[in-house]
Amino acid sequence: ELKNTSGLLYPPEAPELQIRKMADLCFLVQHYDLAYSCYHTAKKDFLNEQAMLYAAGALEMAAVSAFLQPGAPRPYPAHYMDTAIQTYRDICKNMVLAERCVLLSAEILKSQSKYSEAAALLIRLTSEDSDLRSALLLEQAAHCFINMKSPMVRKYAFHMILAGHRFSKAGQKKHALRCYCQAMQVYKGKGWSLAEDHINFTIGRQSYTLRQLDNAVSAFRHILINESKQSAAQQGAFLREYLYVYKNVSQLSPDGPLPQLPLPYINSSATRVFFGHDRRPADGEKQAATHVSLDQEYDSESSQQWRELEEQVVALVNKGTIPSSFQPTQYCLNSYSDNSRFPLAVVEEPITVEVAFRNPLKVPILLTDLSLLWKFQPKDFSAKDDEEVKELVTSEPEMIGTEVISEFLVNSEESKVARLKLFPHHIGELHVLGIVYNLGTIQGSVTVDGIGALPGCHTGKHSLSMSVRGRQDLEIQGPRLNNTKEEKTSIKYGPDRRLDPIITEEMPLLEVFFIHFPTGLLCGEIRKAYVEFVNVSKCPLTGLKVVSKRPEFFTFGGNTAVLTPLSPSASENCSAYKTVVTDSTSVCTALVSAASSVDFGIGIGSQPEVIPVPLPDTVLLPGASVQLPMWLRGPDEEGVHEINFLFYYESVKRQPRIRHRILRHTAVICTSRSLNVQATVCRSNSLEDEEGRGGNMLVFVDVENINTSEAGVKEFHIVQVSSSSKHWKLQRSVNLSENKDAKLASREKGKFCFKAVRCKEKEAATQSSEKYTFADIIFGNEQQIVSSASPCADFFYRSLSSELRKPQAQPSVHAEKQPLEDAVRLIQKCSEVDLNIVVLWKAYVVEDSKQLILEGQHHVILRTIGKEAFSYPQKQEPPEMELLKFVRPENTTVSSRPSVEQLSSLIKTSLHYPESFNHPFHLKSLCLVPVTLLLSNCSKTDVDVIVDLRHKTTSPEALEIHGSFTWLGQTQYKLQLKSQEIHSLQLKACFVHTGVYNLGTPRVFAKLSDQVTVFETSQQNSMPALIIINSV
Amino acid sequence: MAVCVAVIAKENYPLYIRSVPTENELKFHYMVHTSLDVVDEKISALGKALVDQRELYLGLLYPTEDHKVYGYVTNSKVKFVMVVDASNTALRDNEIRSMFRKLHNSYTDVMCNPFYNPGDRIQSRAFDSMVTSMMIQVC
Repeated sequence: ELKNTSGLLYPPEAPELQIRKMADLCFLVQHYDLAYSCYHTAKKDFLNEQAMLYAAGALEMAAVSAFLQPGAPRPYPAHYMDTAIQTYRDICKNMVLAERCVLLSAEILKSQSKYSEAAALLIRLTSEDSDLRSALLLEQAAHCFINMKSPMVRKYAFHMILAGHRFSKAGQKKHALRCYCQAMQVYKGKGWSLAEDHINFTIGRQSYTLRQLDNAVSAFRHILINESKQSAAQQGAFLREYLYVYKNVSQLSPDGPLPQLPLPYINSSATRVFFGHDRRPADGEKQAATHVSLDQEYDSESSQQWRELEEQVVALVNKGTIPSSFQPTQYCLNSYSDNSRFPLAVVEEPITVEVAFRNPLKVPILLTDLSLLWKFQPKDFSAKDDEEVKELVTSEPEMIGTEVISEFLVNSEESKVARLKLFPHHIGELHVLGIVYNLGTIQGSVTVDGIGALPGCHTGKHSLSMSVRGRQDLEIQGPRLNNTKEEKTSIKYGPDRRLDPIITEEMPLLEVFFIHFPTGLLCGEIRKAYVEFVNVSKCPLTGLKVVSKRPEFFTFGGNTAVLTPLSPSASENCSAYKTVVTDSTSVCTALVSAASSVDFGIGIGSQPEVIPVPLPDTVLLPGASVQLPMWLRGPDEEGVHEINFLFYYESVKRQPRIRHRILRHTAVICTSRSLNVQATVCRSNSLEDEEGRGGNMLVFVDVENINTSEAGVKEFHIVQVSSSSKHWKLQRSVNLSENKDAKLASREKGKFCFKAVRCKEKEAATQSSEKYTFADIIFGNEQQIVSSASPCADFFYRSLSSELRKPQAQPSVHAEKQPLEDAVRLIQKCSEVDLNIVVLWKAYVVEDSKQLILEGQHHVILRTIGKEAFSYPQKQEPPEMELLKFVRPENTTVSSRPSVEQLSSLIKTSLHYPESFNHPFHLKSLCLVPVTLLLSNCSKTDVDVIVDLRHKTTSPEALEIHGSFTWLGQTQYKLQLKSQEIHSLQLKACFVHTGVYNLGTPRVFAKLSDQVTVFETSQQNSMPALIIINSV
Repeated sequence: MAVCVAVIAKENYPLYIRSVPTENELKFHYMVHTSLDVVDEKISALGKALVDQRELYLGLLYPTEDHKVYGYVTNSKVKFVMVVDASNTALRDNEIRSMFRKLHNSYTDVMCNPFYNPGDRIQSRAFDSMVTSMMIQVC
């Protein structure tokens, strides 16, 4: 017997084979029933003789014929097939037959919807030895999974990918690509990013090798733009692959439009546009105005402040109204600014566009030859034809110059901004479309960190590494509209025009420099600095003004002041004040001068915040520069102050589009505590002047050194105290211990007392109501500081006007109570005073072992007699939160009765008598002493006065006094005192014993004579008036 | 404790997936992904009528050499999958159950957020920190 590896080999005439042949014939004539039984018989015979190959064949055919039997009398013998396959594979080692059998069996199973069995069968036959076969089987298995009753999608995708993998190993690229694409359908857009990346990458690769470049590019693009979770090395590989493919694409069609690149990301809404030159760095003493720059963060509060300042100055220029077309000047456009209008740029001034890049990858990417892409429509406003508008796109350097950044490295996962400049040389409309650049990698990008550290080293080396040229558009979505109902219900966005500037004609351009500008000051310190104004454009500028919320901080000097354009270096050691040498004889009494506030630019009604800059001839010619002195006064509050200056200027020619331009400056001043001045004013009780006029007051000024720095300030000298008022002036210093220098060491307090008198009536009459009288009292026989001149008076007026701007609690006026109101006001008036005290000081400061002398001034505004006033606004306790009441407030009529205190100060009384009186009681038992009672009317109207000399009997202490005295003569006087009249009453006091007596018993009642409604009120008692009666 | 926590939407895409050794993310993605088949199997094994009363906790889905994978399905067919280190024997079924309940509560909170679009990736910080606490806890 012949044998092969798998059993017997029959001769052709063997009976087993005859049966088998019969079965085949039956099968061919579709007699499946008979065929099956014949195959079955043959199978048994073959198995008995261990002819496995034959048996397997018979089994296979038996199963097929059983399957094909119509009506199916017996169930399909699936195990026949399994046995056959196993036999083919394991015993006969004939994979081709096994494969055939499997395919056949799978088809049968599929037709019976036994997909899972079919799939299992197919998968079982995959093996390492034949990629192509495995691929085919896997693909078929995948299809089985998807066709199941409940489709097994993930299994389908998984086996598809396995099949694709085997196809690609077998070199069947198209099939591989097809498989991957089918698997992609399952994973696309779902979150399985790692799986998706893998599929995309493979698709990209396969597409590339099949020269389907567009598909390849889009697949790679997908990997790069999604937030990838891949490792850095993987991403680097992806990127390189992408660039390589891309390069091939662009080489194929070199003339095509520049492709859109996916990397890096551009945060287009973070794009900022800046018009104008970059800020110059400070050189030496000069410090350029801060203006606006891209380095500043946007702050809505400060931008609102700037806007208000600009509105103020524009309103002033336009005579009180803001023109309807007014728009605040914006030099820097960002996502917060109003971008609905086309911004205006000036020809020959650069436009900087800041583009925010973000690299989503873990590998650095390198952009080279980065520049802006733009479109320009030149427009001659005097042109003949508007139709004939040329459109130019990029690369036309005579129209618009474009800055190119040769290398720009964005590190891994880094956000970085690039600033790109355009230089418009022609007027017209510019549209910035996007950016154009070469995208490349850094070679050896695995060592990410090392490369980022040495950006300078790879110049030239990068050009070798791969890069492709492409563009990205900048499209900025405007704010969402939300005004009309339609806009509210739908989602609509407004335009954003920050990238579409209109280039206009030339405008002047101002640069401002500050020289000797301090950063730290004492509160109230006066410092002289210089400001330099430079016109850097080709147009003359005019109408220069400066606006600030803190006009009390600085001054350029009044109009009356003689401008002394000293060079800043020469004035280094000079005092900031204007001084006059005085002879020492006149030290005690005040030196009087007068000045009107109008001279200092503080008129009524005008805005004190807007200060015109006194340019020598109002126009600053191109290229010209002017240095002006500027005085600064440290703000009264301690701490860091940010003071905003807004310089406003116009062109000499009227421009249709840009009316004015502005320049901003923010000065930061740190102030430290210096002096605290506290002042009160009270009526003097002393005998009236020889002039006999009412009004004679004492001013008490307490000055305290509250400086806390141990090292810096040594001591303060009070140099001068000046008064400034419309009606009052300081006359002389009382109680001055012989001209000692008023020094105040740390934490010391000094007390000064001054006598103040009314200005002479005729002086007051000639003066306009805005005229102030200044009186200076000098300590130390040095120099008089002319307080009515710049800068002392400037600061005084500024602080005054800022004080006046503060809301004052005005008593509400009711029309029906007018007469009473008048009376009240009259009564109030007599306790009012408008005296302003200016304390000028010098501080001796040691700094770097050099002694410096600083000067300064403090202002105190006195309004009411007896009330304390401070130089420094006292911190107010925050008012307690009131409970919100939902009740209609009752119509409370504000009681307009003046307070008792106010009423009681209508009349000023003083007693004059000898301090001690000697009387020979043994000669005469009664002692008579003449006493003068002076009554002076403080108010401006007639006052009825009643003087009552009777002792109050009810007072218990009066009874206790042993041996009190009595007044002789008339015990009650009725008088009428005219406005500010002084009347003296001669009284006589009668004593019977020696001793000390208080003469201050007369009671004085007063009321306004033409007012019946106001009751008589007892007047303030003067101080106890003690008299000593001695016996001789 | 848990080395990987995943929330899978009804349509079998991940709403949230986080694993503790981040370098081996792919492996955990694969594990979670595979477990979905088991979950599907377990749900479909129950009859339609029983679906409503079934317990949300599915128990151990399958063990691997190093890890054990547990599953939990909400009534809205959102799946929670948790991969636990196999060496950690301290974790009993009860602990896993309570961890899932915690996760479910936190997920409910996320869904209650009016600004959350159902079907979006979960980016809630509270949810994240809760997951972190579950991951660190015992370790």
